[in-house]
Amino acid sequence: MIWQIARKEIHHNLTTLRFSLIIIILPVLFVANSLIYSFGSGYTAQVDTYNQQVTQNREHVADYANKGLAELALIGPGEIPKRPNRLTFCADGADKLIPRSVKMMNIGGLSRAGYGYEVYRWRPPWILEYPLDNKSGSAMQRIKIDWVFIGILMSFFAILFTFDAIAGERARGTLSLMMSNTVSRGQVLLGKYLGAFVTLIVPLIISILINLLIILFSGNIPFESSEGLRILGMVILFALLVSIFIFLGLFFSSRVSNAITSLVWLLLTWVFLAFVFPSLLGTFVGNLNPIPSADEVVKQKHAQLEQLYGEYRPFNSPGDITPKLKKAASAEDPETTRLWADFLSREVETKTRLSDAHIDQQFQQVQLARDLTQISPIATFQYAMEGLANTGIVSYTNFVKQARRYRQIFIDFIKTEDRGDPESLHIYPVKEGLSQKPVDPDAVPVFEEQISYRSVLTQVMLLVLFNLLFFIVALVSFLKSDLK
Amino acid sequence: MHTLWLVIQREFVSNVLTSRFMIGFIVCLLSTAVAVFVQVDDYEKRLSGYNAAVREAETEAQNWELYYNINPKAHRKPNPLGIFNVGAENLGANTVTIELAKPVFELTYPVLGEPAQKRGADNPLLAMFLTIDVVFIFKIVLSALAILFAFNTISGEREDGTLKLVLSNAIPRDMIVLGKYLGGMLSLFPIVFTSLIVALIIALSSRVTAFDGNDISHIVLIFAVSLLYVSTWYLLGLLLSIWTKTPATTLILSMVVWVMLTIVHANVATIVVEKFPPYQSKPEVEYVRSAANVWDQFQKERDTYIKRRGYENLRDSIIWEPGTNPERTDRFLTFFSYGIESLYFVEGYILNDIEKADTTIFQEILDYQEPLRIAYADKAEAILNKPAEERERNAKFADLLSRISFADVYHYAVGTIAGTDRQSYNDFIQDSRAYKREIVEYLKDKAAFSSRAWFSNDQGAADLTDLPVFQQRRFSLAESFSRAYIDILILLAWNIVLFMAAYVSFLRYDMS
Repeated sequence: MIWQIARKEIHHNLTTLRFSLIIIILPVLFVANSLIYSFGSGYTAQVDTYNQQVTQNREHVADYANKGLAELALIGPGEIPKRPNRLTFCADGADKLIPRSVKMMNIGGLSRAGYGYEVYRWRPPWILEYPLDNKSGSAMQRIKIDWVFIGILMSFFAILFTFDAIAGERARGTLSLMMSNTVSRGQVLLGKYLGAFVTLIVPLIISILINLLIILFSGNIPFESSEGLRILGMVILFALLVSIFIFLGLFFSSRVSNAITSLVWLLLTWVFLAFVFPSLLGTFVGNLNPIPSADEVVKQKHAQLEQLYGEYRPFNSPGDITPKLKKAASAEDPETTRLWADFLSREVETKTRLSDAHIDQQFQQVQLARDLTQISPIATFQYAMEGLANTGIVSYTNFVKQARRYRQIFIDFIKTEDRGDPESLHIYPVKEGLSQKPVDPDAVPVFEEQISYRSVLTQVMLLVLFNLLFFIVALVSFLKSDLK
Repeated sequence: MHTLWLVIQREFVSNVLTSRFMIGFIVCLLSTAVAVFVQVDDYEKRLSGYNAAVREAETEAQNWELYYNINPKAHRKPNPLGIFNVGAENLGANTVTIELAKPVFELTYPVLGEPAQKRGADNPLLAMFLTIDVVFIFKIVLSALAILFAFNTISGEREDGTLKLVLSNAIPRDMIVLGKYLGGMLSLFPIVFTSLIVALIIALSSRVTAFDGNDISHIVLIFAVSLLYVSTWYLLGLLLSIWTKTPATTLILSMVVWVMLTIVHANVATIVVEKFPPYQSKPEVEYVRSAANVWDQFQKERDTYIKRRGYENLRDSIIWEPGTNPERTDRFLTFFSYGIESLYFVEGYILNDIEKADTTIFQEILDYQEPLRIAYADKAEAILNKPAEERERNAKFADLLSRISFADVYHYAVGTIAGTDRQSYNDFIQDSRAYKREIVEYLKDKAAFSSRAWFSNDQGAADLTDLPVFQQRRFSLAESFSRAYIDILILLAWNIVLFMAAYVSFLRYDMS
């Protein structure tokens, strides 16, 4: 019986204007998306830069590894690039705002300390830095024509297909005729749901196939089998989102007596869920959870470093008083070298603590905004898509986490290598306290990025939950509604 | 006249009594209120950041003793109209540090010691959320309301059968179109008006926002343009209502047109231009390199001059009293800076025991060298500014493409009037360059380049009491109007075309 109603709905839908519009607009948008992303500047350029950076890095590491372990230990493993993403056409995720690399090297010059007539040149060890484009002026517009955007439009179409599903039949008087048959209200509702769902999902899947074919044949974005699975997951996300808005449409349609009123409600709800709500919360979270600005963090860092420098005086001019670092570090003088190591580790610790804390605060703020905006199913859909495509802030957060893990791996590698050299003093991170022997460049650990899809799971659960919720709401409202 | 008034009245009453009027009214009011609330907060943050930066710069200025190392700052003052249309207020730099021989430029990758910087920004990552303001609400919500008011004006009456009855009276058809248009606008007017008033009240309830007469007149102009925009949508709905047979068809068609024009079109245009830029530029690094060449030329020209005067380098022109040791340090004089990867190339002189030196010739050479250095900085600036110019040209092209949709024409018109558009930002950067020239003129008038206080305070510090302060231009209503008039005209033209089309279509309307 459900299927009979669904079939009737589908037949009815196929003849409507909205269906003709959707089968024009959807393929056009998907084709535009594939053309823009496969032929426009973007992925290929990013891959080139990435490969260039990786080679540069390898040369950098080999260069310093041959100079000696101590040199490598202080200069750091280089600038670590983030692997460009193939699936940005699915979810762009403000790709332009996200930094493409983190820095793990110190290319700055040597600092100098003078003792009498002798000048000691020392290098502050590398730290992990997160360059962020503070101005973000180049981001022209934040909405991109990616699959997420098309998904948002799909939710709009879901409204257009359901706003009169019940209210319209009620107005025409056919609703009471239908209910006079031996069919339960639940069946009618599910039939209508299925009808709308099939009419929306079939053009969507066809358009997605066209989109993928164009991208495959253009050859600019190569695919792997794992990406097929992720794209399949995205289709499921599309289905979940569309289904939510069908239920929402059925709810308003059964609740309100007049189809127009139902559309007004739906339209405004849609605008709220799609645009107003996510952006308001995004803007507002800055006040909810204020964090210090970049200038303040820099000031704080300077103040703390100033204090440290005051204590150790590593930039001594000849003839100045020297409270702690009285002499230059050298391999013959473990005590002074250890003192220098104390100072340098404290400097590294201060810098690292502040810059890590700053980026963590920024992440937390964005995370809070995202958590709050997930009240809107459209935002949840967007985040889930970004999660599957591994774009957006989640991918950057993961990247930063892995970079931090790599930082530890690299330091551990240096320390283990150093332990193998009996001539070394084993004092990290002072050049004189470490092994001066060259290391095998191939033995130096390489950064490898791994993708985590864990965050997607909660979002999928949320979307399923939204579906259940709106289904129940629509059902209850339909059960309680009048037939006339 | 009386019949026209009758049609208007009837249309107005039938609109106002519907539930969509009430819902639309409440939603529009609520969302405007919330948007203003958030934007006022954002403006307060910008303003306090600005005030702090200005204060800091003032304290810093009090410590200047030498002419050569003054670095006045141009601060971008937050625009109070940003509460209504935030536009580019949060984008780009908000402080430009003026250094005499440093070009003012903006590159996309961060450079150490950039002159144009953004201060007080707490989280650049939050920029990934859309920002929302009154104009955005108007652009999306009001247009939807206008369409929802207009879609059944003709096709609805046709379905109900009342259209025939109306036409059987002695009312000319043109009166009906005009009446329906005016009646619809009359019912939309209170929504726009009240929303804006509520927005204004919330904005004024904050302690820091102060609108002067100029701002208020700008807000009135924004209100007028918003009405024009709503009217465009209403006319489009009316036209579609005449062209289609049933209100259901009108509704679907106009909703799809609405979503395409307000949301899809501009974004497609922008991303197409972004991915296929019509003006391709060289990589920024190449511009930085050629700017570095400019400095090499400067060095050559300057060295020739010094040689001609008979000295090896600048410091040789200083005549020391016997018995002084010029090798030891306490003042470091920086002459010029440029860079390829790191911005600095420093040429410096250490001048100690300066009070025991005769620097007459040194000063004469400086009098030649420093204006030359500034002139070369302008040359370097012209080169370094090219990437930004390319970007601007591409962005302008994208704007042009998106102007096909009148929703974006409205957006640009309001941005221009409010002074929060991208052009206003570019003007700020231009103004900061003008400010630099002003400072140079000021120093020339004081003969500062050849004075001892250029590099030393042993014979009295530099006199900087009347140093010009950066003044940001604000536009008067007439100026704003003349900046935005093309967009306003386009909106007006759309109104006229749509009205004429509706008028003609209705005159030829087939009742059967």
